[in-house]
Amino acid sequence: MSHGFELEPAKGPAIPDNKFVAGISWALDKFNMILMNLSLLALVLTACVLTYSVVSRYFFNVPTDWQDEASVFMLVGVTFFCTAYVQSFRGHIGIEALSSLLPARVNAFRMLLVDVLSFLFCLFFSWKSWTLWHEAFVDGQTTTSTFAPPLWIPYGMMAFGMSLLTLQIFIQVLARVTNASPTKSHDRGEI
Amino acid sequence: MSPLTLGALYGAVTLVVMFSGMPIAFALGIVATSFMYFFMPATSLDTVTQNVYEEMASITLLSIPLFILKGAAIGKSPAGKDLYSAIHTWLHKVPGGLGIANVVACALFAAMAGSSPATCSAIGSAGIPEMRRRGYSPGFAAGIIAAGGTLGILLPPSITMILYAVAAEQSLGRLFLAGVGPGVLLVFLFAGYAVYRARKEYRMALAVFNQTGVESAYLEKEHFTLAQKVEMLPRVLPFIILLIGVMVALYGGFATPSETAGLGALLAMALIAIVYGVWRPKDLRPILTSTVKESTMLLLIIGMSLLYSYVMSYLHISQSAAQWVVDMHLSKWVLLAVILTMVIVFGFFLPPVSIILMTAPIILPPLKAAGFDLIWFGIVMTVVMEMGLIHPPVGLNIFVIKNIAPDIPLKDVIRGVMPFVALMFLAVLLLCLFPGISTGLPTMIMGAK
Repeated sequence: MSHGFELEPAKGPAIPDNKFVAGISWALDKFNMILMNLSLLALVLTACVLTYSVVSRYFFNVPTDWQDEASVFMLVGVTFFCTAYVQSFRGHIGIEALSSLLPARVNAFRMLLVDVLSFLFCLFFSWKSWTLWHEAFVDGQTTTSTFAPPLWIPYGMMAFGMSLLTLQIFIQVLARVTNASPTKSHDRGEI
Repeated sequence: MSPLTLGALYGAVTLVVMFSGMPIAFALGIVATSFMYFFMPATSLDTVTQNVYEEMASITLLSIPLFILKGAAIGKSPAGKDLYSAIHTWLHKVPGGLGIANVVACALFAAMAGSSPATCSAIGSAGIPEMRRRGYSPGFAAGIIAAGGTLGILLPPSITMILYAVAAEQSLGRLFLAGVGPGVLLVFLFAGYAVYRARKEYRMALAVFNQTGVESAYLEKEHFTLAQKVEMLPRVLPFIILLIGVMVALYGGFATPSETAGLGALLAMALIAIVYGVWRPKDLRPILTSTVKESTMLLLIIGMSLLYSYVMSYLHISQSAAQWVVDMHLSKWVLLAVILTMVIVFGFFLPPVSIILMTAPIILPPLKAAGFDLIWFGIVMTVVMEMGLIHPPVGLNIFVIKNIAPDIPLKDVIRGVMPFVALMFLAVLLLCLFPGISTGLPTMIMGAK
């Protein structure tokens, strides 16, 4: 775990060769950046909320009962809203031990297969997330605390973030299929 | 199919999918949901997302991004260089003092930032050139920094320990305290070796001077006035106060671990704004962006690892595997050795987060049955995982050193870190012989378990 430390900054998302795919990719990158900026604010806000709860309890004797759930909701939002952004430059780490051992063509097929399987998993996860969100929304589900905020909020953020991730991987699959060079892609994070 | 056979299949499929190069988070999710589909009731697939959310929506786990933010804020400021320079000016008269200064600076910085690579980078970028300028061999200088950086996951607040506390259902406060003794032990071991090696290199430099008249930088005397020493303090003291303040907030009963994380992150950002003028959005953006990227990647792995563990538990794989290990009737120390060897091997290809969350359900019950204190084991496991940060094939800190001192050949860096790996192994042995090194402080402050 590098804990906020990067050996070198990410190169940024790869630009697909196909103009149509590049266009969608560009639009998604812009949207990812908006969500990223929102997440940066949410992160700082969470730190402020938790600090406020300590100050309020000890200096003003006014305990708060909402800070933990507000923080959890915001950090769940940060995690899922940024997961497509992280995937856009292949920032989710994997074991790339095989990449240097396989012939180029086999390696290209391996990477395509990995992306397709990842896409299918994220598609399934998104579908189930939306189902969960729908149930929580219709049934008016809340958390069990006294503050009792509605659960559709974090479920919705999870479903939205995973759907965006699914779209991001789909574009990367399209890029792999349509790129002139089958191996064109930024290296994924290695450990 | 028996749970053990199913477990072997689960492990084999996991290895195949992970070695395909798939991101670890997706690999764990795919394996878990596939086994849910084939071996669990059909309705269980409907609970996949709820399981992931419920496991992730823990305020303890979600304090991780805030601890990362605190580390990134301090790590990306010049605090590391200032800390190193201040300690150096105060310790330069001690034999081997430059090496000690680097070890102590690494320990203090690691405790503030909680990150091994950030510590290596911050202290090493000032420490390695200075040590080399003063005649230290490149491998030795690299070894000190790489090893010193590993203290980042042992000294509190450590993200690795947060994960272990969640996986092993142990008190986070107690675990943080249990890391202090072994952290100090490692500082003494590293500093002791630094003195021994520096004196050896000094004697060699003196011998060369006596034979050839060529004077090494080792033989030059350095002098700092009291004014110079005092001048260094104002930039360093605020960070030391932050370090102490966070600990007081946590152990003085003022704040929960997650509140401490929020408070620490905000204070760290306030300090770098006041001391270094890092407050403009363009200055803060890289800090926040790297935090979010790291946190997102990590929390997705954590969420999927917890789903993976849930499937293991539902299919009785973890319980059967744990029982199988217990039924082998290994002596407790053989059991410990086997488990630690497994942790080292896993460390070759998995990050600590996955090692802890995937193996905890299997290895902790036999260890508990054998009479080991799980707080103590968490610390021993952390020291073993620290070794993985500086030994090949992964050795993240080695690559950080290569990044900040690219002219030092990799073989010199590896040769330089090996004595420190041996010292860490010695620390593990000492922890086995004297568990009080780890458990003494939490017992003293928080009482017996």
